[in-house]
Amino acid sequence: MASKFLQHAKQTGIYWLARRLPTCKEIAPVMSESLERRLSARERVVLKLHLLVCEFCVRYLDQIILMHRALRARTAQLDEPPATPATSLPPAARERLKRALTNSRTEELGTERDRQD
Amino acid sequence: MRHEAQSSVRHETQTAPLSPPDPGAWVDRHGDALFRYALFRLRDAALAEDIVQETLLAALQSHHTFAGRGSERTWLVGILKHKIIDHFRRACRERAQDQRDEAALEHEKLFQQSGEWIDHWDFARGPIEWHATPAALLEQNEFWGVFQNCLAGLPERIAATFTLREIDGLSSEEICEALNIKANNLWVMLHRARMHLRQCIEAKWFRANATQNSSGGGIKHGF
Repeated sequence: MASKFLQHAKQTGIYWLARRLPTCKEIAPVMSESLERRLSARERVVLKLHLLVCEFCVRYLDQIILMHRALRARTAQLDEPPATPATSLPPAARERLKRALTNSRTEELGTERDRQD
Repeated sequence: MRHEAQSSVRHETQTAPLSPPDPGAWVDRHGDALFRYALFRLRDAALAEDIVQETLLAALQSHHTFAGRGSERTWLVGILKHKIIDHFRRACRERAQDQRDEAALEHEKLFQQSGEWIDHWDFARGPIEWHATPAALLEQNEFWGVFQNCLAGLPERIAATFTLREIDGLSSEEICEALNIKANNLWVMLHRARMHLRQCIEAKWFRANATQNSSGGGIKHGF
């Protein structure tokens, strides 16, 4: 069957190519660095070829990009409007903060200006 | 209203500054937001509280620089951001010598140990399909709990670089400058962080959910 022949040829091709490319362990840091700097032309070609024959590394690259995007979105969600009051300052901590600030403020007022009545 | 704040020499003035600071009100208005911001980055409630306190004290010292430009929240978050970077810088300096825990982050077992395909992904341990999108993950609070735990498993220096890069969104150059490290060094640490976190999330979330839901086949989604 033609498809079987093609599949065999494809597998032999993948095998041939994969044997001549850097290993996954060597490519993993390059994938991470592709998020940090522009890869050299040679690095880009080698990475593309490796991804052509390695499903695991395709997933790896997709997933570190996904983590990056999800974290950016999560940060925006948490830093912007507090629609979800999931994390709030514990009441005891709130009191400690106020006390520390009041003490410091009394000192500051004491040194900088007269007491106001 | 007089613009006392415009003259920096006169900040120890006898007359009242532009808006007299009310730190108690700061805590009420911005305490939760500042604490949440710090906790997400530092993952330690006591430390986050300390840094928020440092921030508010610094704000009190320098309220004359605020002068009503922009919002009070943005001003305070700006100070907090710097305090957090200062903390990371200190932590990195203190930990610079101690690289044993970083060496322990090796991921040898993820790759084949021998044979024709040595150093390629181990078939049983290599990345599996996640079927996830950022939007879907945002909906799942439990996922972020798992994520925080995984992040907490990183050595401090590596966690600091990852946090500045992926949570604060600083560029490589900005991080190198803030932490006084070389770019190559930063890239190695980010690679280790990503390798560890990807693996940890996969094991504790995606694989765990897949087996939990194995009767239905495929990975469970909460949406």
